Amino acid sequence: MSALSGEMSRPLKITIAGVRGVVGQTLTPDLLVNFSQAFGTYAGPGRVLVSRDTRSSGRMVAPCVFSGLTATGCEVVDLGVCPTAALQLAVGRSDAVGGVAITAGHNPAQWNALKFCRDDGIYLNARQAEELLNIYHQKEFTKAAWDKLPPVGTDRAAGERHLEAIRAEVDVDAIGAAGLKIAVDCANGACASFTPDFLRSLGCEVVAINDDPELPFPHDPLPTPSNLSQLRALVAAAGADAGFAHDADGDRLGLVTESGEAPGDEYTLCLATEMVLGRGDKGPVVTNLSTTMAVDEIARKHGRDVIRTGVGQVFIAEAAVNYEAAIAGEGSGGVVFPRINYAHDSIATLAHILGLLAEREVPMSALVAEVPKYTIVKREIACPPQRAYSVLEDLRQDLEVSWAEEINLDDGIKLSASDRWVHIRVSMTEPKIRVITEARAQGLAMDLADKYVRRVERLL
Amino acid sequence: MAGMQSLKIGVSGVRGIVGQSLTPQLVVGFAEAFGTYLDGGLVVIGRDPRPSGEMVLNALTGGLLSTGCSVIDVGICPTPTMQHAVVDLGADGGIAITASHHPAAWNALKFCREDGVFLNQYQAEELLNVYHQGAFVLRPYDALGRVGVDEGAVNRHLSKVLSSVDREAIAAMAPKVVIDSVNGAGADFAEGLLQKMGCEVIAINDVPNGRFPREPEPLPENLGQLCDAVREHGADIGFAQDADGDRLAIVSAEGEAIGEEFTLAFAADAMAARDAEGPLVTNLSTSRLIEEVAERHGRTLLRTKVGEVNVVERMIATGAVGGGEGNGGVIDPKLHYCRDNLAAMALILQAMAQRDMTVEQWRRQFRTSAIVKDRLDCPAGKTQRVILALRRHYEGREIDLTEGVKVFFDGGAWMHARPSNTEPILRVIAEADDRETARRLCDEALQVAAEAGC
Repeated sequence: MSALSGEMSRPLKITIAGVRGVVGQTLTPDLLVNFSQAFGTYAGPGRVLVSRDTRSSGRMVAPCVFSGLTATGCEVVDLGVCPTAALQLAVGRSDAVGGVAITAGHNPAQWNALKFCRDDGIYLNARQAEELLNIYHQKEFTKAAWDKLPPVGTDRAAGERHLEAIRAEVDVDAIGAAGLKIAVDCANGACASFTPDFLRSLGCEVVAINDDPELPFPHDPLPTPSNLSQLRALVAAAGADAGFAHDADGDRLGLVTESGEAPGDEYTLCLATEMVLGRGDKGPVVTNLSTTMAVDEIARKHGRDVIRTGVGQVFIAEAAVNYEAAIAGEGSGGVVFPRINYAHDSIATLAHILGLLAEREVPMSALVAEVPKYTIVKREIACPPQRAYSVLEDLRQDLEVSWAEEINLDDGIKLSASDRWVHIRVSMTEPKIRVITEARAQGLAMDLADKYVRRVERLL
Repeated sequence: MAGMQSLKIGVSGVRGIVGQSLTPQLVVGFAEAFGTYLDGGLVVIGRDPRPSGEMVLNALTGGLLSTGCSVIDVGICPTPTMQHAVVDLGADGGIAITASHHPAAWNALKFCREDGVFLNQYQAEELLNVYHQGAFVLRPYDALGRVGVDEGAVNRHLSKVLSSVDREAIAAMAPKVVIDSVNGAGADFAEGLLQKMGCEVIAINDVPNGRFPREPEPLPENLGQLCDAVREHGADIGFAQDADGDRLAIVSAEGEAIGEEFTLAFAADAMAARDAEGPLVTNLSTSRLIEEVAERHGRTLLRTKVGEVNVVERMIATGAVGGGEGNGGVIDPKLHYCRDNLAAMALILQAMAQRDMTVEQWRRQFRTSAIVKDRLDCPAGKTQRVILALRRHYEGREIDLTEGVKVFFDGGAWMHARPSNTEPILRVIAEADDRETARRLCDEALQVAAEAGC
């Protein structure tokens, strides 16, 4: 194990989800220009849109990406700092052949990443990403001649067009009439320049914190309850009707009720699902294997099916397309509204939850209370990437499944019964094995988590 | 195979063909090496208008920021403007993105240090060692540099040039000038400078788009269009620039390209007449015309190895009154130690105005001279043997071995053979009273070199 710890600490992940690394260590200009040329070779020739979140390293990453794409003859359009969903919308609604998002999502500030999307604005799927990786590894890139290098263009209106597309999908009049006071924590991320004004345009009174995109992240830009203490205090102090927290690039949304409680990541998808199914959008609900069973109950209430996928934005987006879903999303707080876009979209999620608040005319805590109660426990075990899959395979061969009614091996191992489940999977973004459990009773969820964490640790 | 042959990494920078050898990987590598070499700080970047310049700029920017350097982009401008900006902004270094007189498919990086002078041979070798060792110092996310833009660099440069000349004298003469900027970096700025000095200006090839309508090297054979335009407009003088504004050639009112060697001769004459003290400095391959200037003004003439930085360092060390290179590069130390077409045009027009003299009249003040420049493919591995053969061949004559072999003949004739700094060739240059003699001296050396294995 100790011999492997050096390998484990090398912070680079080249996966189908993109390339992710720590600036100053693994995410070097050389890696960036190589990946950008690989993508230009894969997607080009044509127009490629590029956006970034507010990470300071984005200023270094962006010119590397521009250079690599231009060298393959692609025409770069720089969208500047905007939510990734705005990039995906802009790609999908233009003649662009692809997009590159410079963002490490919810990862801490020292990380950055490239995420690649195709001409419809959806991230590359596993097979497409593998093709891209093959080009990257072969390093045989298209090299455009000197007179075939298009100048870099800019489009700073993509963020505004994205907001316009969201406004068109919610009941703006009802939200305005509700006279809501909303507290928002933008984590100084990509939504900082957009959400406060957007909320005002909907007629909300806004109390914003961490809304300066030039400043560093005030906390890890992961809108999970442990990072929401500042927002909770703000909601209480300002007497706001609700609080919302963005991650760095506008994927995930965290919630705080008017009483200053942070109910947890899973509630975001639950409330959005209640809203969209309640207004009668057609189609099933798509979510991943690690997301709460509360979603099943909400869907059942509305007479809808739930489609479960592996964990990852692209699996959600593709299933949402294939099943013509009403809504899709993940328990981590990222929700897709197919009528707008096949992207995780925290501003759209915010707008839809405001729509629900306005429609029901009840406090946020009452909406939260409607959601079926489960306890979800998330654990992680450090594991070198070269061991992770064999550990899972060993575990599968030695499964104690007496309690499970269903075994799903689409993404790691998921064992489910009517009142509980455990999901053990390899992280796509970090050298970790994740163990997630859920049950009606808190003690049961904890016991399940303890048991399977111990089993994984024994195999390591 | 062309791609394999097109990369040149040497003490004068890194140069390659876009789409072949000048890749984003190469550029970020050099940017990280330079940032590591400087150990952080501020770097000014300027570029000529080649279409590949933006791709190179972006790669450089990413590489430099990752090493903690901040970048100031001075945009498309003459190379000397970037050098001025390094000093103006108190920067720690500068990079010119330009392949100078090379065709449009090429691009290159030239590195300069905090005093706005290009890296000398020793510094460039240090940079190359950093590059080749590849142990670049990359900074964490909260110690990366930032990017700024300086749109005032060209105007500051123009102002300095304008304030250094007698504008009234030039305006009184109101010369009609045709300027051919080869659609290069100096295109709009040169026209503006000439107008501000009171010239009537006809500009050709003045769109800075990097699509060169002629070979960008301002040699007489490339200046047919300019010569025609000078005659057609009845102009007093024509100026031809290279792509990045550091080499200038002159066309007379008669429409004759008088040769780029006269640019320095004229400018040196003007500088030596202006200031009381100091020697003149040029390289070993430059025409003897400048010797006449030195004699006329009672100045010492110092010769260095070929290369702007070599001339500049000698100028600084000796407090030179002026200097430059015979390829049309003029260095006016009152402005900055860089080859500068804007400064050269100002000096030459000022002298013509003050002395009420045409180009042809000025040229006739010099003795008749002919210079022949030739080249021979010569891989680096064979140069030493060739130089040795040449030295032996000319045994008994006066020989200078500062760089390659320079041999002096009767009547002021000379021949200089030296390996190029930038290409695997042997350059052979000879000068004599007439072209036949110069040609013969050149051919003799070429034959010796060929026999020695070139």
